[in-house]
Amino acid sequence: MNPDMPSPTAPADGEVPDLDLVKRCQAGDTRAFDALVTKYRSRVYNMTYHLIQNETEAWDLAQEAFIKAWRAIGGFKLDSGFYTWLYRITHNVCYDWLRKKRIESDGEFDDSRTEHRVAAGAEAVPQMAPRPDQAMRNAELKARIDAAIAQLSPDHRQAILLKEVEGLRYHEIAEVMQCSLGTVMSRLFYARKKLQEILKDTYENAT
Amino acid sequence: MKTPPDENQIVRFLDGEMDAAEKSAFEASLAADPELRAEIESLSQLGATLRKSMPNGREVPHADFFNSQIQVRIAQEEMDRARESNAPAAGAGWLDWLRAPWFAAAATAVVALLAVTLWQGRSLSPSESSLVLSSYAPNPDVQARAFHSDEAQATVLMLDGLAAVPADRKIVGHSVHHSETDQQVATTTLFSDDGHVLLVLAKDGRNQPRLLEHTP
Repeated sequence: MNPDMPSPTAPADGEVPDLDLVKRCQAGDTRAFDALVTKYRSRVYNMTYHLIQNETEAWDLAQEAFIKAWRAIGGFKLDSGFYTWLYRITHNVCYDWLRKKRIESDGEFDDSRTEHRVAAGAEAVPQMAPRPDQAMRNAELKARIDAAIAQLSPDHRQAILLKEVEGLRYHEIAEVMQCSLGTVMSRLFYARKKLQEILKDTYENAT
Repeated sequence: MKTPPDENQIVRFLDGEMDAAEKSAFEASLAADPELRAEIESLSQLGATLRKSMPNGREVPHADFFNSQIQVRIAQEEMDRARESNAPAAGAGWLDWLRAPWFAAAATAVVALLAVTLWQGRSLSPSESSLVLSSYAPNPDVQARAFHSDEAQATVLMLDGLAAVPADRKIVGHSVHHSETDQQVATTTLFSDDGHVLLVLAKDGRNQPRLLEHTP
């Protein structure tokens, strides 16, 4: 893991560890599950948003992932990471949706996946406002990165997000995406090459 | 002659997944190969840009509603499951309710009241005397008797054998002081006299009301 990237599950001071919450969930405690939802909802939503590229669908799919997690939590083995298990469920929910969407559209181009709609009330304002010119450059860079990531295949997109954004290790990415370590490395390599090809001028000029 | 690093080595170096020996060998390759060095620098820069520009979390719109909807769906599923597992015993549950002491008392009172009402209707005729024709109590331990006084023009009903009603039993329920509707998240909240939330109601995808929160 990158040294500047905190572990997704490292409990903050005073925070109940995931495994304790999971044990309570397995005993039927819905409040404990609510705590896990609160802890992981932004990460799960981030993943569904990047994979689906539509806020409304991403919101629904993130909900679906948590509901499926609740249904399956009785069978969760306490010796593995909860977040990896949850991401895996999220991955399956999104891929089922993408598969269904592909069948429904029968291969037609679906512009709702590349349209970046912002729901009313969505968090769109950064916590610390930079100078207007810097803010504009950042927003432009982010838009270009989003557009470049949208051009990747779902497999490449998720691999790069799990690595660069979530900071997962290779074995964790393999577990989430249900593939081999070799496939993880290959997906990361080709995702980076593709992003490099699209964004090289952008990021080299940005720094 | 050393073979150039393959794609797996490049990503493992970038992601810090190499052990010390591998890393050292790869760095030797880097020192000897300006093209590889430029490639690694470019990819490192790409990774730094991605990490800087993409937060590892995206706040869920209407986050509280997101959580509450999950809790509602879980509660619905639990209720459905409980209903399915209790389905054969549903008749027994109904009978249990019929056997409850408060139900017997209430039924006795209703039947007696009906009898009195009938009698009062008849008593409008001056030629007829006061008479409770019959009484019925579902609980056989309860005896209903009536006494009428022409002089007082009153009928007294006596129900013997009723279970005592605990003094702290809430019979009238909650007093709803006012309600507020939030159009944005489509919920209605009911408040008590002292401003506490009694109920939060929402509508599901089929436009049916759903209970989100309940203060017992």
